[in-house]
Amino acid sequence: MAEAAPIFHFNDERSFIVEEVVARVTHAAPDPLLLLNDAAWCEIRRLEARPGGERAEYERFRDLARTLGKLSDTERRRKVEEVSRRYAQDIAGNFDPRVYAVSTRVLPGALSLLLSPKDLGLGLRALGRLQDYVVTQGPIERIRSLARRGTVVFVPTHLSNLDSVVFGFALDREGLPPATYGAGKNLFTNPFLSFFMQNLGAYRVDRRIKHGLYKEVLKTYSAVLIERGYHSLFFPGGTRSRSGIVEERLKLGLMGTGVEAFVHSLRRGHPQRVFFVPATINYMLTLEASTLIADFLAEVGRNRYIIEDDESTRLERVATLVRKLAMTTGSVVIRYGEPMDPFTNRVLDDGRSVDARGRTVDPATYVTRDGQAVIDEARDAQYTRELGEAICASFAKETVLLASHLVAGAAFAKLRESFPGEDLFKLLRHRDEVFVPSDELERRVADLTDRARALEDRGGIVLGPGVRGASAQAIIGAASRAWAGYHTNAVLRETHGGVVLGDTNLLLYYQNRLAVSGLGFHPSARRA
Amino acid sequence: MGERGSLAVGVLGGGRWGLALAAAVTRNGHSAMLYSRRHELAPNLAGAFTRTTELKAVAAHARLILLAVPSSVLRDVARALGDVTNGSHLLVHGIRGLSAEGLTPLSQVLREETPCRRVGALGGPALADDLLEGLPSVIAVASPFAEVTDAVRAVLEGPRMRVSVSRDLVGLEWASALNGVLCVALGYARAIGIPAALLGGVMVRGLHEAARIAVAAGADERSLFELAGVGDLLAAMGQDDRPECRLGAALANGATLADALADSPVRIEAPTLVPRVVAFARRHRVDATLFESIESVFVGTLDRETLVARLMQRR
Repeated sequence: MAEAAPIFHFNDERSFIVEEVVARVTHAAPDPLLLLNDAAWCEIRRLEARPGGERAEYERFRDLARTLGKLSDTERRRKVEEVSRRYAQDIAGNFDPRVYAVSTRVLPGALSLLLSPKDLGLGLRALGRLQDYVVTQGPIERIRSLARRGTVVFVPTHLSNLDSVVFGFALDREGLPPATYGAGKNLFTNPFLSFFMQNLGAYRVDRRIKHGLYKEVLKTYSAVLIERGYHSLFFPGGTRSRSGIVEERLKLGLMGTGVEAFVHSLRRGHPQRVFFVPATINYMLTLEASTLIADFLAEVGRNRYIIEDDESTRLERVATLVRKLAMTTGSVVIRYGEPMDPFTNRVLDDGRSVDARGRTVDPATYVTRDGQAVIDEARDAQYTRELGEAICASFAKETVLLASHLVAGAAFAKLRESFPGEDLFKLLRHRDEVFVPSDELERRVADLTDRARALEDRGGIVLGPGVRGASAQAIIGAASRAWAGYHTNAVLRETHGGVVLGDTNLLLYYQNRLAVSGLGFHPSARRA
Repeated sequence: MGERGSLAVGVLGGGRWGLALAAAVTRNGHSAMLYSRRHELAPNLAGAFTRTTELKAVAAHARLILLAVPSSVLRDVARALGDVTNGSHLLVHGIRGLSAEGLTPLSQVLREETPCRRVGALGGPALADDLLEGLPSVIAVASPFAEVTDAVRAVLEGPRMRVSVSRDLVGLEWASALNGVLCVALGYARAIGIPAALLGGVMVRGLHEAARIAVAAGADERSLFELAGVGDLLAAMGQDDRPECRLGAALANGATLADALADSPVRIEAPTLVPRVVAFARRHRVDATLFESIESVFVGTLDRETLVARLMQRR
């Protein structure tokens, strides 16, 4: 089934898609002069600071800026076309079915060769069990059925650079078609990730380019893919969650291309249904936890920078992580939520949209007027905002709690109680100071797990496979085994009769998975 | 659909407010269809609009539907309306109050009970009688969808009506609901004869409390200081017959809440709303001294002297 997905014919369609994008962007440009001026200004400023290997690009924009004023309207529009084409070609990826086959079936072996020649035997065994330790949950049968009836847009939470690899693997294993996605161009410089991403239909997003024209090309590219039936994957948080908190607010730009594609398809007279599938990706251990939480703490309230060098660029870290995760089944859980249409209606197996009362509703009615589909950017932006809220609500409900989250939650609560009234940064400085007797830690973990279970009964969260029905002792054991030997600083240091709270940053990071549900501390102070 | 240049509007609710909205629409030359469950109610006060007892007829007649039913029946009406509408309909309610089950804005009830997404709300100081008599007036409308506010404006705005537009739907709904409570305080304060200067102080304080509460609920603070907020309150100063003010005055004159409510010709949301608002404010650590005092007045545990003393205290 999966092989019928359009992505397998991507290379044949590639130039057609690029031209379609160029045509649309050029046609829709309201004011070519403003658009080009903005692009040139942004790019000259950016490239001046660090021209590097992009000297030619810098010169091109310098020329453009110099001549722009003298160009006629037609010439300016042609310039928009030219620049868009350059961008669209850069963005468009490749899809190589052979690489796809390699990566999903033979990947385990091939990857471990790449990863860690020293530990070849061990690595092979660990990765070979990707099958076992990644658990997938949710309405998979329904999603399969929807993938045959329209375009599925996966919108998962985002914690790690491994997400796209793990998510892609899970899609294949569940008989779901591959999904194309936009990956940060900086990742393409990573020797390990780049090879696969290049050939798995990933398109390149250059996050350094900030101007409107580039964003327009990017969004149009995504819209054209969705309209043509390419199942897509967006990380709607925009970037990896630095804090570990489940996304509470989303970047709506790319998500909005779903409704845009739907409206365009109606206008062409070939309705293409679009189904959004929220998903949570839950890890017992996060590959780059230390770097991410450090970045969160350093930059609270300010713009994040792009991390060029974190754990995910170091192959031996990936290998160690994979070995640790492989120790427990269900140490990675991918949980798909209820699929919905772009207007937040639930979708049934047969593709029908139903409202909150279960009434069938035709999604075209949200965008048509007197029988005509109407393009209205303001309207669609609001639909997308509401879709974002619905997706966040799904994230919160479908978050899967694993042993490391619960144990960190219990330990962090103890830390807070030990220093009442201290602000977060003071609190985090108490490393290796707080001793928790074993029986107290067990009691705390048991209490927290009970509260989580009560919330699960109300449909507010999900307990992971290793946690459900497990004793507090077993949960603590699983978390300790996972942390020990992966994180450089001990998270919990075992001593006689109990543990000492070690790396408080990591405790915060893992407990943050409880923040949105109210089961744990929420670092953003404005909350009541 | 209406004739050329004339737009079609559905109005749900055969009470005075429903009639008033239908009259205002008709006066502007548009075609209104009024739905009410009881047909015998009131003859056509303002003339030329169609009446029906079929929701289906309203949904077929108009894309824009205004709801002017009591909040206690809104959920049921909306659920029935949901059976005959689809994604193309624009629903706008003109009901003061928040949902009885929680503090859910009523537009949320519309979203839960119908397939419609483009929803909005009316607010502001306009009284049904003003509209029925065709006095010059103003009305506020809010929706995150410009299509909704545009549609309302197209049918209500005219020589006798100005429409003030906002995107902050939650803000308008909370402002309307909280203002209802402040009007009770206004009526009470005037009846016990507190000096005008203190009255001004109390009202400003009430507005600020309302603003903080509404912000905690996701509203834009500015919405409290626009037509549905401060505009509504200023108008209440001159509206002696405003039901909430009369309720406050009755309580000040020693009536019990039950008696005062029984005397009111219309349903007043404030008494059921206040305890929930106070609890909400407490949960969000928002100071709401005035709202707490009104709650005490409702349950009869606060006399005038204590009230004034409390208001004079520094926080």
